Amino acid sequence: MFRAGFIGFGRMGIAHFSILNSHPSVEIAAICDQSNTMLNVLKKYVDIGTYSDYQEMIDEAELDFVIISTPSDSHSEIINVAIDNNLHTFVEKPFALTAADGQETLTHLEGKNLVNQVGYVNRFNEVFMEIKRLLASGLIGEVKNFSSEMYGATVLKDSKASWRGKRKTGGGCMYEFASHCIDLVVYLLGQPDKVIGSVMQSVYSSDVEDLVSSTFIYNNGCSGTIMVNWSDESFRKPTNIITIFGSKGKIVADKHAYKLFLKEADQANGFHKGWNTRCITDFAKSVRFYVRGNEFTRQLDYFIDCINQGRADNIASFAEALKTDIVMEEITKDASQSLVAEDGWSQASPILPKSSRRSSIWKKFWEYLK
Amino acid sequence: MEKILGVLEIMQKKPMLDRVIFGDNQFFGINHMSEEKAQALSERFRDLKAITDVIDIAYDCGIRAFMLNTHEIAKDICDHWRQNSTRFADIRLYPSMPYAHKYANAVAEKGIFGALKDIIMADSSMGEIAGMLTKGGASLFSKDMIKVMQLLVDIEMKAFRDLNVRVIFLQNIVTDLLLGFGVKDAFIGFASYIKEKYETEPGFVTMNMPKLAEFLLDCGIENPIICSAINKAGYFMNPDIESYEKTLKENKIRPIAMSILASGAVKPKEAVEYVCRQPAIQSIVFGASSRQHIEETKELIESFS
Repeated sequence: MFRAGFIGFGRMGIAHFSILNSHPSVEIAAICDQSNTMLNVLKKYVDIGTYSDYQEMIDEAELDFVIISTPSDSHSEIINVAIDNNLHTFVEKPFALTAADGQETLTHLEGKNLVNQVGYVNRFNEVFMEIKRLLASGLIGEVKNFSSEMYGATVLKDSKASWRGKRKTGGGCMYEFASHCIDLVVYLLGQPDKVIGSVMQSVYSSDVEDLVSSTFIYNNGCSGTIMVNWSDESFRKPTNIITIFGSKGKIVADKHAYKLFLKEADQANGFHKGWNTRCITDFAKSVRFYVRGNEFTRQLDYFIDCINQGRADNIASFAEALKTDIVMEEITKDASQSLVAEDGWSQASPILPKSSRRSSIWKKFWEYLK
Repeated sequence: MEKILGVLEIMQKKPMLDRVIFGDNQFFGINHMSEEKAQALSERFRDLKAITDVIDIAYDCGIRAFMLNTHEIAKDICDHWRQNSTRFADIRLYPSMPYAHKYANAVAEKGIFGALKDIIMADSSMGEIAGMLTKGGASLFSKDMIKVMQLLVDIEMKAFRDLNVRVIFLQNIVTDLLLGFGVKDAFIGFASYIKEKYETEPGFVTMNMPKLAEFLLDCGIENPIICSAINKAGYFMNPDIESYEKTLKENKIRPIAMSILASGAVKPKEAVEYVCRQPAIQSIVFGASSRQHIEETKELIESFS
């Protein structure tokens, strides 16, 4: 039995607990949260040690691994302590808030055979797993171009109350939402070599962005765009749509189904020339215990399997997640550089640094032109 | 005589549920197979009239049982039934609560307790309790979550007032989350509250039927009504179809089958044939949007039953 400690017991912590509590190889030893109400409810209804200080929990509870689901700005600090205490670590996405923090965590991991995983759950979705397999088999040839979109009705008003609505605590559409869309690109097509034309805009939020778009450039000649909007009421649930165009065909996929267009039939996989549609029911496999989607159970069961087998080569490892962190940092940098003027034609964003040197130079230039 | 008494005893322990229950997922733009189909559904059922038209057709086809999630539109659908109470005199409802989706953003924004507090305080009839929440902060939560659950049931059940409610279901997101926690008090508390306050039967929707069946029996809830996906494709049946078939054979629960078509993966005839072959299944929930589909599915179920 592996002894688990939970750090952060909000929406995601609760779901992870429910999934792992019934795992035959897991014994949940302790829960740490900052909310007294939560700790009191847990004391009354669940017979598990509770802590308000994670360091104390790690010192006392004799853990094998931790599940971290705290606000994003606290991830790095907690992960580093967990690793230094030789604990296998699962952390909710995003991994770290800066690439430098992520790099530092990787140095803590050096020389240790610890399982490390980030909650990039799309990597455990059956459709996207199948797309990964098809791409690796070269089915659509050389990938030339793609678009990765993600939409949802997550933020429909300015929410300053939540950490998700605050830049300082790692909130905003980029880290909280777009990270899934970007990770999906990194998972299927790799980390881009350059990002250009990035824009971060607000719809409702005053302190963070609600829209993110960018163009990814790869040295091998591939390029693609991402378009992310967490303030889109037309979607009932967060939705990813990815279109990948290759020299031999094209794939359009979401979490439930994919459509594949092939220039030539592929007998090995049973695909016709032209359009082929496959739905999740064609290849869905049940899970041990379902809480909020097969992929959520699959990612945690995989984490436990890795611990069991002593494998550190994880599909959603810290090193993989760092790629997404680097891309997010680059997009943010690129977006702030492409901001032209506060009152000019680029209404890019109220959340970007208004006093940036570049923008004031452009402003002077515009004034000169006028 | 003995035989009759025996049958009566069984009926008392296991009062029959409606064989055919009309589901409502199609009205809320839910399609597990395709985002496109989901979108088309949500466009078609934009108006209440489009929804009640389909419900009227189902009723005219002889369907009397309706499962209804406590979606915002549920209240308006119930108003339609109340306003036409003579026409819908025989209607039997199977509400499922909470429609968790409507609270998802509140939970993301304010946390679970913050969202619960808002829901309770927003309900004007909860004056006294709302007062407790403002005064005592969140102490109500730490003291008695079962009481909180009862308040939430009352808030959700308001939409169904004066209507004939046959079973009140705990919806699968909450059922399965609590099942993972293994909190027996929550299930026992829900079941006894439904029986006492609403004088009707509690039911549970789940994606993990075999595990839930075992757990509810362990809680001392006899012959629990459990609604779950049951289909030939094994879709949404966790951990696997074999465990479901085994649990069904044991005949200790009152199973209701939903998702029998596995989002279209199984053809209607095959789907109904499979479900009707399973022992002990009392009811089949299905949703459809046209008269032809409703008639066909109902006839299929009746022909195999």
